[in-house]
Amino acid sequence: MPGRRVLRRQWASSEGWRDTKAGMWAWLLQRVAAVLLIAVIALHLKNPFVRPVQAALLGLVLLHGLLGVRAILLDFGLPVRWHRLLFTGAIAAGVVVFAVVWGLR
Amino acid sequence: MILKVFRWAPGAHERLQKYWIPAKEGMTVLDALVDAQRRLDPTLAFRYACRVGMCGSCAMVINGRERWACRTLQTLRRGTVTVRPLYHFPLIRDLVVDMAPIKEKMVAAGGAFVPGDGSPAFAPVGGESGERRRIDAAIECIGCGMCVSACTMVAHDPRFPGPAALNRLFTLQTDSRDAGHSARGAVMLSEDSLIRCHGQATCTAVCPMEISPTESILSLRRQAVARLFR
Repeated sequence: MPGRRVLRRQWASSEGWRDTKAGMWAWLLQRVAAVLLIAVIALHLKNPFVRPVQAALLGLVLLHGLLGVRAILLDFGLPVRWHRLLFTGAIAAGVVVFAVVWGLR
Repeated sequence: MILKVFRWAPGAHERLQKYWIPAKEGMTVLDALVDAQRRLDPTLAFRYACRVGMCGSCAMVINGRERWACRTLQTLRRGTVTVRPLYHFPLIRDLVVDMAPIKEKMVAAGGAFVPGDGSPAFAPVGGESGERRRIDAAIECIGCGMCVSACTMVAHDPRFPGPAALNRLFTLQTDSRDAGHSARGAVMLSEDSLIRCHGQATCTAVCPMEISPTESILSLRRQAVARLFR
């Protein structure tokens, strides 16, 4: 109803974040990783041999990609009650793949 | 305990008012609000009816989470309890919001059963059928509004029907007796509807009836995509 007072969650307050759910963290992390990837890819193209940038690129690609796989699995019918498990699984898989790939370099 | 309550009335400035309430064993947040209203401030406005966790009318935001005040023990939340009205609904006064948008969005999205031509007045869906089980999981919504308050998309797109209305649509689109499936196709495929859900499942996390509007929305999405290829 236009003109009527409507309250929204205050994201600038600790109360607004107090009950942030796992699903929202998953969504937020994927978006933040996407934004950071733009900067990291630009840095990587400028000089591909900088180790910290390589590590950031690998980490962010894994984070963004695996959280995307989680979303696709839910879209294709995996039960929503598994979404927290899929979030944890995506992060764990990312850590393992990062450790293996970085260990092989 | 300290109860911090959102206070507002048309023409007045909003504030968080503190009430000191003597804590008692088994006291709920609703009990504390009633105590504050009876002993300290009769102008404090909030809504409740059954007081036993059935009607959903005492839904509010307690310490940042959508809850029913009558089901929330204050003893579990020591110290300060902050109470605000549900988000994304027009405020009437203090903790009371106008719940009309829930119905308006359901009507706008086509959330009414459409009987088919010549269908009998009473046509049950078999209790053992998969159709019945899918509908049963989503049909117990009592319109308390907590899912709408918890949804992060409702605030950004006023045309987004919201989790309650889309969950209602799911029950109708799954119902073989309903003749309005095609008519709702435009709503389902609109750019302000199913596609706007981010799948964060905040609606599902707060639903006291253990409904999963997220599951309903994802299922409707699959149905909508399938319709495109028919």
